[in-house]
Amino acid sequence: MIHFYRVSKHYGEQRALDEVTFQIERGEFAFLTGPSGAGKTTLLRLLFRQEVPTAGQILVNGRNVASLPRRKVPFLRRTMGVVFQDFRLIPRKTVFENVSYLPRVLGLDRQRQKRLAYETLRRVGLAHRMKAFPLELSGGEQQRVSIARALINQPEILIADEPTGNLDPEMAREIFELFLEINRRGTTVLIATHDTRVLERLDKRVLALRAGKLTDDSAAAGDLAAPLSEVVGG
Amino acid sequence: MLLRAVIYFFREAVLNLARSWKISLVAVSTIAVSLFIGGALAMLAGNLRRLVADWQREAKVIVYLRPGAAADGALQAALRQPPWVTGVTAVSAAEARQRFERYFPSVAELVRGWGEEPLPASLEVAFDPEQVDARAFDGWLQRLHAFPQVGMVDDDRDWVRELQGMLRVIGVVGVSLVAALVLGAVFTTASVIRLTAYLYRDEIGIMRLVGGTELFVRGPFYVEGFLQGLLGGAAALGGLFLTYRLLVPRTPQTWVAGALTGDFLDARGQVLLVAVGALAGLAGAVASLRREEV
Repeated sequence: MIHFYRVSKHYGEQRALDEVTFQIERGEFAFLTGPSGAGKTTLLRLLFRQEVPTAGQILVNGRNVASLPRRKVPFLRRTMGVVFQDFRLIPRKTVFENVSYLPRVLGLDRQRQKRLAYETLRRVGLAHRMKAFPLELSGGEQQRVSIARALINQPEILIADEPTGNLDPEMAREIFELFLEINRRGTTVLIATHDTRVLERLDKRVLALRAGKLTDDSAAAGDLAAPLSEVVGG
Repeated sequence: MLLRAVIYFFREAVLNLARSWKISLVAVSTIAVSLFIGGALAMLAGNLRRLVADWQREAKVIVYLRPGAAADGALQAALRQPPWVTGVTAVSAAEARQRFERYFPSVAELVRGWGEEPLPASLEVAFDPEQVDARAFDGWLQRLHAFPQVGMVDDDRDWVRELQGMLRVIGVVGVSLVAALVLGAVFTTASVIRLTAYLYRDEIGIMRLVGGTELFVRGPFYVEGFLQGLLGGAAALGGLFLTYRLLVPRTPQTWVAGALTGDFLDARGQVLLVAVGALAGLAGAVASLRREEV
């Protein structure tokens, strides 16, 4: 499903990623971890083609993301849902408008947009807040709206960059429960986090980055030879 | 699907206009002022063109006879021979004097009290300018000059030609001025759209991230520029019409005033004025988003 082969990304002299190679299978749930500046965000940005690698190949469903023409990038992104730490919701638009942007781009009529948005918001427990504006919601609710927006087109891959970084532990737990549920329905999930408690609690594959290099890749966090806190660096 | 997209573009553009109405007003005003001046020049040029065409239709060749001379059969035949001549009217010396007294009453004394008629008799030759072959016309005038009873031949075409030359100059200056003004309006709109895109750069980034195509992301901005131009064009047309209505009753009845305020822009001119505004706005939006990823 996702295949990174000797991928490097340099910003001038700085090596954000250095010959990173790994593969994630369809339906897998994986964490990407490492200290700040390890290259987690860069790796995710390469995956949804917000950046282009300096060297190497990135394949998503057999498609070479790096060589994708610019006009085809939106179509790649529609196969992925992306969730950010800062939610990235449009404050002047309602929850419904935020969530239904992609269906609108796809040309669905308003009725179908509404039905789809309702169903997706129900999955994240926010169907009753369709008319609210993001700033009227709590942090956890905003993140759930952001997840609903990522899920509305039933993406094959869900990518999240520190999705619980701005949330308290209880809300973070709820959000991870949601990711697990999404994964159980068959969506491949890749989450960047440096929250070691989450990694220890969930028995999932962990890809560890340090200074742009992939330093560990384990099928389950519990199998790591070194203590997690040492791998993550915090 | 396309219709839904267009409706969405218009809705977003109207919202953007309402939200950032102050900077939008700059673009709308610039376009309105440019097109107001352009429209006024077009109106002036159109009225002058009509006036010159009227004069051209009324143009005459006046053959003045020497004192005491009369138009014989040979001269009459020469006058009526060319195909462009539509009529010949004889004006006696006495009629010429009476006309002068009628047209210029304040200086009528000049032609009174002479022992004999002070003004020469003449033959006024009306002609159809459409039928005139310039070289043949000049040859014909030369032949008229050669008649011994002809003192002078006055040809209206000279000053009509001068007027047409003046009209061409007005046209060239007007078109250049309007082009410069419209270009200025395009740049202003481009700056305003770029500023709006900058204000909403976070939203635009989000739209791209969730899979919005470039057309879908830029569409509302294109429509916004188009609407700014449309509003500017409509404001220019409204302003022009209001100025025209206020000016006409207060303008003295002279030919210059007639040329300036003769007729308002025709329907085609009105549509063109608003369309130029809309296109200038659209061009500004396209230019502002062309080189950068908004």
